[in-house]
Amino acid sequence: MTDISNDTPARGGSLLVTDARTKRRNRAETRFKAYGIAALAVGMAFLVALLWAILSNGLTAFSQTYVQLDVPLLEEKLDKDGDRDPDKIAKVSTFGYKPLIEAALTDLVAREGIETELDGKALTKILSDSAAAKIRDRVLADPSLIGQTVSFDLLASSRVDGYLKGRVSRESLARDKNLDAAHLDLVDTLREAGAVEKRFNLAFITGADASDSRPEQAGIGVAMLGSFFMMLVVLILSLPIGVAASIYLEEFAPQNRLTDLIEVNISNLAAVPSIVFGILGLAVFIQFMHLPQSAPLVGGLVLTLMTLPTIIISTRAALKSVPPSIRDAALGVGASRMQAVTHHVLPLAMPGILTGTILGLAQALGETAPLLLIGMVGYIATNYPDGVAEGFLAPNSAMPAQIYEWAKRADPAFYERAWGGIIVLLAFLLAMNLIAVLLRRRFERRW
Amino acid sequence: MNDMRPMDNAVTDKTKITARDVHVHYGTTHAIKGVDVDIADRTVTAFIGPSGCGKSTFLRCLNRMNDTIPGALVTGEIRIDEADIYDPRVDPVQLRAKVGMVFQKPNPFPKSIYDNVAYGPKIHGLARNKAELDEIVEKALRRGAIWDEVKDRLHAPGTGLSGGQQQRLCIARAVATEPEILLMDEPCSALDPIATAQVEELIDELRQNFTVVIVTHSMQQAARVSQRTAFFHLGHLVEYGETGKIFTNPEDSRTESYISGRIG
Repeated sequence: MTDISNDTPARGGSLLVTDARTKRRNRAETRFKAYGIAALAVGMAFLVALLWAILSNGLTAFSQTYVQLDVPLLEEKLDKDGDRDPDKIAKVSTFGYKPLIEAALTDLVAREGIETELDGKALTKILSDSAAAKIRDRVLADPSLIGQTVSFDLLASSRVDGYLKGRVSRESLARDKNLDAAHLDLVDTLREAGAVEKRFNLAFITGADASDSRPEQAGIGVAMLGSFFMMLVVLILSLPIGVAASIYLEEFAPQNRLTDLIEVNISNLAAVPSIVFGILGLAVFIQFMHLPQSAPLVGGLVLTLMTLPTIIISTRAALKSVPPSIRDAALGVGASRMQAVTHHVLPLAMPGILTGTILGLAQALGETAPLLLIGMVGYIATNYPDGVAEGFLAPNSAMPAQIYEWAKRADPAFYERAWGGIIVLLAFLLAMNLIAVLLRRRFERRW
Repeated sequence: MNDMRPMDNAVTDKTKITARDVHVHYGTTHAIKGVDVDIADRTVTAFIGPSGCGKSTFLRCLNRMNDTIPGALVTGEIRIDEADIYDPRVDPVQLRAKVGMVFQKPNPFPKSIYDNVAYGPKIHGLARNKAELDEIVEKALRRGAIWDEVKDRLHAPGTGLSGGQQQRLCIARAVATEPEILLMDEPCSALDPIATAQVEELIDELRQNFTVVIVTHSMQQAARVSQRTAFFHLGHLVEYGETGKIFTNPEDSRTESYISGRIG
């Protein structure tokens, strides 16, 4: 800038009069502040819009519509011989339970004195397809229930749930073969009677994914376990490897071409697109090492590769921030390099290392692209893993992969669940960041 | 403190440290250019000279702290009690237990006062049990002339002390490992005059048990605390001798210029 202009202030001018040059500088400063505030405002506006979108779309996933139904568990349908033999009871498939549900619904409608043109079979459309299976599971678990009339809380179908959440209306049902306006009239009445109710849905957080036709039953719990086992692998591998590599590079390695090259490459690795790590994982871990596809172990290994540069970079920054005078002090009293590092430098760098690690983990937790290539996206995580070994080795999904899966399914009820999944994922990320901040505060020391 | 002043100090004749033709290179910089010096046992030897003259660099050669600087190369011969400290068989860790160091800026560990002093004895296995360690710590703190000030708060953080106290704590930490030589790199440059006076008084007491080598910017300080003085200039040891003689009757014109304030 050519600020050396003609209007240099007249020497000896009054201090009470601001000269042109100062005025111009002050204006520049004011302008700059305004730009800064504007930039911040844009950022905040985006953040608010994002949060609003997530919350308004996703919160509904945490409530679900249930129908309370008294189902007569007729002995002649479920256990013809009457000897309560579990094997024979198990032979009755969910189709065997359908008539019972129809009967129960007809009975409910009759008891409430509701007039409707819907017959028994049509009535069952207000219930989830999972209803029969739920009753059957309960009966198999406790055969003594046969012969009694048992009250069940059954999931309403996704259309009914959508109606209570304002997603489905009578107009939108005109072209929908799943449900008629008459069903909605029925639901309205049953709701007033207290048989249909929308309430908090813990199953969304703890449950397993469900097939395309049963969005009301889908939960993120199994995918959460998948993510958990992946993060365990990442933590167990990347923390020791990353910290050891950083300590070596920072405290012991000689400064030469080779270490310079390694340094540059670590920085570059941190910027490599994550999908590249995915294809590397596919080639090395699955095709070459023959580890199981879709397994959290493989996902964890791939994410470890991705997280290591982050952890190494942040650990080295933390080690660098320990003043050299501390190393001098330790060496000066005759500590070895290793002692100086483990006794003094490492404890002081710990908060920084932990923060970096947690942020690296948080990044890995939200990563989707590498999982695409090792088969963790598209796998329908409907079963909980049996035990820890299965948790690592059995096919599973992961939270971001599950969200992606839901987002691409056709039924609009899954859309809400994708947003809900994002809320769960963000809650985890927020919690991890909070832990990072707390650790930093807790262990921060002055010198 | 006994009332010995530099002028009337007798210097012992036994030589503790012998340096012959020492050169130090930092990369392409030739920092020390052939220094020969004999440092006497149980005396305070001061290194003076303008900034960048190599006095701190030479000091750091004496306990091989230069080893920790990448690209530093030391050639020549430095003997402590006739043993060449740059011999490949010498482990710098062992050497540094024998040659303690106090740094320019007080650098206590961010630990308790007790742990600061106990750290050296612990890693060198000087104490068999807690009682012995307590004894060593107390002795070191007394030698560091700080015992009375901290005896009631040994478990308070060392970083919470004042600058002068911190520096005396660092001296106590350095003497706790029972070194024979104590190197001090401008130990008072970060301290106020009162703290400086306390540390100087302490240095004079330390002379009874240790060979002290002190680098200082302040000629007055060199005159006050040392028995011998070495004047460094541009990597050369220009003049070395009895402190009284250096300050009153220097042989080299550069020394005289520096002392009288014309250079440096």
